[in-house]
Amino acid sequence: MAVTAKVQSRAAPQEQEENVVRFDIHQRLQHILMMSSFIVLAATGLPLKFSESGISQWWISFWGGIESTRFAHRIAAFVMVGDCVYHVLYLAYTTAILKRPFPFQMLPSPQDVQNLYQDLRYYLGLSRTQAQYGRFNYREKFDYWAIFWGMPIMAGSGFILMYPVLVSEFLPNWAIPVALVAHSDEAVLAVSWIFIVHIFFAHLAPGVFPMNKSIFTGKVPRHRYMEEHPLELAQTSAPAKEPEMPEQVPRPALPQATDPNVVPTDAKGQSAL
Amino acid sequence: MRAWIVALGITAVLLAAFVLVAVTRQKAHALDQVNGPTTQPAYALDQNDCLHCHGALELTTRASSGAEVSLYVNKEGLDASAHRYVDCVSCHTTKPHDVPTPLSKLSLAARCGTCHQYEYKLHLQSVHGQQLLQGNEDVATCVDCHSPQVNPHSIVRVLESNAPAYKQNISQTCGRCHNNEPLMARYGILEKVYESYMRSFHGKAMKLSPTANITQLNKATCTNCHGTHDIKDPTDPTSPVAGVENLARTCEQCHPGAGVQFASSFLGHKEATPENFPMVHYAERFFALLTASVVALGVSLVLVETGKWAFNRRPKEE
Repeated sequence: MAVTAKVQSRAAPQEQEENVVRFDIHQRLQHILMMSSFIVLAATGLPLKFSESGISQWWISFWGGIESTRFAHRIAAFVMVGDCVYHVLYLAYTTAILKRPFPFQMLPSPQDVQNLYQDLRYYLGLSRTQAQYGRFNYREKFDYWAIFWGMPIMAGSGFILMYPVLVSEFLPNWAIPVALVAHSDEAVLAVSWIFIVHIFFAHLAPGVFPMNKSIFTGKVPRHRYMEEHPLELAQTSAPAKEPEMPEQVPRPALPQATDPNVVPTDAKGQSAL
Repeated sequence: MRAWIVALGITAVLLAAFVLVAVTRQKAHALDQVNGPTTQPAYALDQNDCLHCHGALELTTRASSGAEVSLYVNKEGLDASAHRYVDCVSCHTTKPHDVPTPLSKLSLAARCGTCHQYEYKLHLQSVHGQQLLQGNEDVATCVDCHSPQVNPHSIVRVLESNAPAYKQNISQTCGRCHNNEPLMARYGILEKVYESYMRSFHGKAMKLSPTANITQLNKATCTNCHGTHDIKDPTDPTSPVAGVENLARTCEQCHPGAGVQFASSFLGHKEATPENFPMVHYAERFFALLTASVVALGVSLVLVETGKWAFNRRPKEE
């Protein structure tokens, strides 16, 4: 009895709240693999960049020396590269074989620049309305494409640094020092972006805090989806979502989804409190 | 709510365990450093009680030039010295007070050479020894690399971790002179060799192994490429780093199969400039610019959004 009561009370604030499926199991798995390998790579790679500082020396010694962290770094690198291959294969499979529509929404478009401009105006108090996003907003697209440009650089330069003697046989002599520069600078870029900007947007931003769990659960509460991706919801007027989600309930009608004046300002303002 | 508390509790326990392990490890390491391999105190052999007078800090004499010369011998340094059981008269002759004072750097090296003949011979052939023979006192000789105090009375064995010639300390020891810009400029050595070594993977691996034992220190340092007692000018054809062929053979000692192509990717202890490795120079510029601009863009987005949030939460008048 006590248990059911608890569950009910916990569910109470979101009574009759249905979820919108945003990510399937493969996308969630891809994110988890990317996240865990990224953390290991950063934890074992950054001390090399900042080798002069005492904490790096302590950290490497803690894990049993440079050989251990080098090994962990390489394992995580293979996991990350494998994850990217997984992602590309997944994309090919879902579009070519399952005949799902190609995710054009992920491609950068002039709309993103416009949205960024509109958001900046809103944040700086020059406008009362925030931009409305489709399935992916410009931050999510940037995160995605940053990996797309970063992976070839990191994996390529990492491979050169891993087998310098081998690559020196068929690459020019500046390849190894350039790989070192690229690997270490791009790593700092990735780590600062993820730990400052991505973590902020995914966890700390007003309206999201303490955490946006959608990439792990695949689901987003409908009211949140309405705030975050109104244009996508409006487009899918007949939302034939994946039927395998058991907790799907009949959807109520969309409450003024596309009214730009109501949704962003009020909803954001309230959730910020 | 309960799940949060449990999660917090587990995190706290893990964190506490982490800190505990870290502190104990650090303590154990510190104790090792203090006690060293021997815990019994050792005393220098002083059969003629020389230290009775020479153990006094104020004992000095005047050289023929008129300069004041200290005759003080630090007993603690001597007790820890590799030569603590070699009596004073072995080096200072049985009539030590008849020996002219002070010794020159060359006569000091020659004194070491009476026992360490092979090393002395190599040293005299080295770039340091050659200069020493010409009376140049700038260059390194035995004590400069083998005594932490640059003092013949406190020579430390190479395998002891506080020895200046212990593998992990070699770069700092060489750096005492080779990281001294004005001194190096006098010999036309403009490369910042110490800094460039520390930027390299060799230097980083060494720096990141503070608790490694000697068998784990299989990373290259200055002497692995340049040689030790027989260290040569890099432009001397007999130097192991002279020319890309010699350099390749030196690389190959650790990197099997390394050839001329591999060796020629070394920047030569120099910074990348438009003349020296232009591709590396422009890659550095490009990535610095890219990193700075992308991070600046992201951080400013975070800042404006936070600012707007704070602004919306400001106390309203009504």
